[in-house]
Amino acid sequence: MSDTLKILLILITLIYLFVIIKAVKKRKMHINYSIFWIFTGVVLIVSILIPNFIENISNFLGFEKTSNMVFCIAIFILFYLVLNLTNIVSKQYQQIVKLIQEVSILKADSNKEDNNENK
Amino acid sequence: MKVLIIIPAYNEEENILGVCNNIKKYDENLDYIVINDGSTDDTLKVCKDNKLNCINLISNLGIGGAVQTGYKYAYEKDYDIAIQFDGDGQHDINYIHTICEKIKKNEVDFCIGSRFIDNTSSFKSTFSRRVGIKIISSMLKMFCNIKITDPTSGFRAGNKKVIELFSKCYPTDYPEPESIVFLVNNSIRISEAPVSMNERQSGKSSIYAWKSVYYMIRVSLAIIIDSLTLSKIRRGK
Repeated sequence: MSDTLKILLILITLIYLFVIIKAVKKRKMHINYSIFWIFTGVVLIVSILIPNFIENISNFLGFEKTSNMVFCIAIFILFYLVLNLTNIVSKQYQQIVKLIQEVSILKADSNKEDNNENK
Repeated sequence: MKVLIIIPAYNEEENILGVCNNIKKYDENLDYIVINDGSTDDTLKVCKDNKLNCINLISNLGIGGAVQTGYKYAYEKDYDIAIQFDGDGQHDINYIHTICEKIKKNEVDFCIGSRFIDNTSSFKSTFSRRVGIKIISSMLKMFCNIKITDPTSGFRAGNKKVIELFSKCYPTDYPEPESIVFLVNNSIRISEAPVSMNERQSGKSSIYAWKSVYYMIRVSLAIIIDSLTLSKIRRGK
């Protein structure tokens, strides 16, 4: 890897980290979910700075090609993330259903009381 | 005994008034509650204009969420029996007493109105629908060891125990067969009573033709997964 490419990649990763930290600071992203993304950014910077970092791990694990390992890990992580998101969505769905039901019952009750008072 | 009739209604502006009037004609002392499931037509207006007892869901939840709202209401208001009754005029009000009979005698906790026990009902649904019902029925027999001839029937009644269970937990999308498994898991006594059903007066059923395959897969999966937890609980005991 040439030095120019290295500097460019590090710059992009830094921007990436900056965007995430800013989102957390503006409360756009929940801090729980930012941990994963910040961690990814740090790993990226480390693998750019330390020469042959990824290659060494790949050789150690016995992958024929370094790119295979990168794709493999990326796919696994993405699978995990999507699974996790499905769980979160399901949980939120249940919470929303409960909210709609309780609010609707409360509203119906208060309407009835209003009607009775008007009589 | 306080009895509540739960009427889930989604876009039933043409039927809902007739259904409620029939209930009042049948028995003045019966309480009913219409759950307007975020209808896009004038169902809400019809309910308000005619002063029907109604809960208006602030957003559409689907049949499961609507029915559960009724059970929650029944639980809060301390009703002894809750009856599910369709808002589309499919169910015959004259069978309310048949369906409540065994519950009142405390022989069962939950009673399902079935079209297939005997020849009470002349309307037995289409052929493909009947095949689907047969399959679900035999799956219930296989995995839960319970004989239900009409597992998709939405004409059902439950006592206090059932009201409490359903107000806490009720399946969402296609809830009828799933909820039976849920009740079996909680050792609820279930039986069936013969009822008559009419063809839909107007409006569309919630199960469209192209969705039926998905429906079958979804329901089968629910029955199998739920019965798996059942065997675990039994082992735990």
